[in-house]
Amino acid sequence: MSASTVEAKPAKITVNGLRKSFGSNEVLKGIDVEIGEGEVVCIIGPSGSGKSTLLRCLNKLEEISAGHVVVDGFDVTDPKVDINEVRRHVGMVFQHFNLFPHMSVAENIMLAPVELKKATKAEAREQALKLLDRVGLREKADARPASLSGGQKQRVAIARALAMSPGIMLFDEATSALDPEMVGEVLQVIRDLAAEGMTMVLVTHEMGFAKEIGDRVVFMADGVVCESGKPEDLFGNPQQERTKEFLSKVL
Amino acid sequence: MSKMTGGPRGWLKVVTAALFGFMLLLGPVSPAFAQQSDSGVAGKKFVIGTDTTFAPFEFRKNGELTGIDMDLIRAIAKSEGFEVEIRSLGFNAALQALTSNQVDGVIAGMSITDERKKVYDFSEPYFESGIQMAIAKGNTDIKGYEDLRGKTVVAKTGSEGETYAKSIAEQYGFTVKSLDQSATMYESVKAGSAVAVFDDYPVLAYGVAQNNGLKTVTEKVPGGSYGFAVNKGKNTALLGAFNDGLAKMKANGEYDKLLNTYLADPTAEVPSNFWDLLVKSFPALMKGLGNTLLVTGISFVVAMALGLLAGFMKISSNIVVRGIATTFVNIFRGTPLLLWAFMFYFGLPQLTGVEISIWVAGVLTLSLNSGAYIAEIVRGGIQSVDPGQLEASRSLGLGYGKSMQKVVVPQAFKMMTPSLINQLIIMLKDSSLLLAIGFGELLYQGQQIYAANFRVTETLIIVGLIYFVAIMALTKLANYADRKFNK
Repeated sequence: MSASTVEAKPAKITVNGLRKSFGSNEVLKGIDVEIGEGEVVCIIGPSGSGKSTLLRCLNKLEEISAGHVVVDGFDVTDPKVDINEVRRHVGMVFQHFNLFPHMSVAENIMLAPVELKKATKAEAREQALKLLDRVGLREKADARPASLSGGQKQRVAIARALAMSPGIMLFDEATSALDPEMVGEVLQVIRDLAAEGMTMVLVTHEMGFAKEIGDRVVFMADGVVCESGKPEDLFGNPQQERTKEFLSKVL
Repeated sequence: MSKMTGGPRGWLKVVTAALFGFMLLLGPVSPAFAQQSDSGVAGKKFVIGTDTTFAPFEFRKNGELTGIDMDLIRAIAKSEGFEVEIRSLGFNAALQALTSNQVDGVIAGMSITDERKKVYDFSEPYFESGIQMAIAKGNTDIKGYEDLRGKTVVAKTGSEGETYAKSIAEQYGFTVKSLDQSATMYESVKAGSAVAVFDDYPVLAYGVAQNNGLKTVTEKVPGGSYGFAVNKGKNTALLGAFNDGLAKMKANGEYDKLLNTYLADPTAEVPSNFWDLLVKSFPALMKGLGNTLLVTGISFVVAMALGLLAGFMKISSNIVVRGIATTFVNIFRGTPLLLWAFMFYFGLPQLTGVEISIWVAGVLTLSLNSGAYIAEIVRGGIQSVDPGQLEASRSLGLGYGKSMQKVVVPQAFKMMTPSLINQLIIMLKDSSLLLAIGFGELLYQGQQIYAANFRVTETLIIVGLIYFVAIMALTKLANYADRKFNK
């Protein structure tokens, strides 16, 4: 990729020559990306292009086959680095929410701060209620996840990911599993986070949203970054054939 | 039930050997007293070894050792003024104890044979045994051996009765089928799968006296004589006193009276109806139930620990760790429970030279077997939890252990609970297999009862009902706990 650090912000995430194979199947074939502080980057591309795998490499949910990923100054590929420490700085939101069904909404959010001894139970609950306020679900604090709608679940999941006050948020197709009428409420929460200056990487199929919220859009195909740039450039004037072909299908 | 050969009575020997092992654990057998005494027996105490169950010579009634041998030795001791301490060791174990001078004498329905005379000194015979045939009470067709043509009879594997039946089988044209236990033989005659049984006269006579549903139509065929034994050259005074006492009892009619108690009075002491049987057998059965529940409870705790460990090992990313757990599971799922009971109780002590308690053997058997199944339940439970749960927890910065503990295991446990309850119930029922090594659990107690009173069906119904009630209660309790803790 070429465009990238137009703004002079310090790099929050640096990816160098990242390769990832599942057995003999190489899904990431050398990725170089740099993401600055406060930048919102949307990753788009056809399914199987490696978008989600790239995202999951950033907090090492996937073992990295080759290359380097530096997050918040930590090289996550260095075995000496405590990955649990790094992950506390990186919140992640999943397509299928992955809320803990045996805990209440508040307990879901309190788990990490309490277990990692960042807060007492009382403090953690107070913080959880504040986070629920932010996503508009304070009244659901003591409900079980099973009683929530999809949109509500995803908002709780975002609140949970924010519990350790991360500097980076990763969204893995956060709205793909939602009914259309619930997409809006989740996007609104993400929009608010962007407005607060959170560094964010989003894998998304919502082209309109990517255009609206992204400082930069990265188009991936077949395990490589095919093209990247400002949304108006990438959507308005794509340079690569592969990009044009993809956009013609989804827009 | 022959004692001539020392070879028959397969499983009973196993049981008696097991009980002997158990006795050893309860405390060392103290050395015998007064071995050198040739001058009278009055006031002395002798240790007498005997079998565990060989009705009507020795068996337990309401927990007390009774029978012809027991009554006889006690009566003689009384009349000759000495004391006896009875040790119910099992037949072979009692003879071993006699050889090693751990007991002073043995009375155990033992036939006097030339071979035994080489190592022991025998008293005058106190009982004339023999072989007799019995048929079902309602059978009026069979009046003698000649009516057996074309029919099937049963006899005990390796017994004198079998030898005798086979010796006349060709002459009278019948088939001999061999079975292992007296009770099973009698049941098959009553059920009609065989028309007659050939068994030791006293055992048969006692069974008939206990209303076991059989009758005799032919005379007994004289066989061996039973004697009281001491070690060769030892305890001559005791032997003399036995002979004196026996002679006195025969002279004053006490001897005949004693035999009649067991062999002639058809209604003596038999529980007359189901209720009576229930009341009489209840204390022993409750003791058995207690042992069943205790061994199941202990084993389940051990099995849970083993199962959790092996279950987690099975999902390990380390191939060696996984391999160890898989091997454990395959071995104990792939082999019968009973095999391990024998292995731990009989095999292990012989390999290591260390006696093993029957409780340890029982718990090892049940917990290793169940542990293998629980390992699979645990593995399945953990793997049934959506991998996204672990990912979500890890993405928050929680370590693997914490994530398992707080997120995955609680959910897995909820899914495992019905299978674990099931496994507990299977284990409780499987514990009955421990009767084969002589563990005094519920079904074992039932067997002891019908070995003495021959009321097989009713006793089994009672035992079955006790199991059923215990398991229903356990199921309700477990489901209640499940609802309470796994909301």
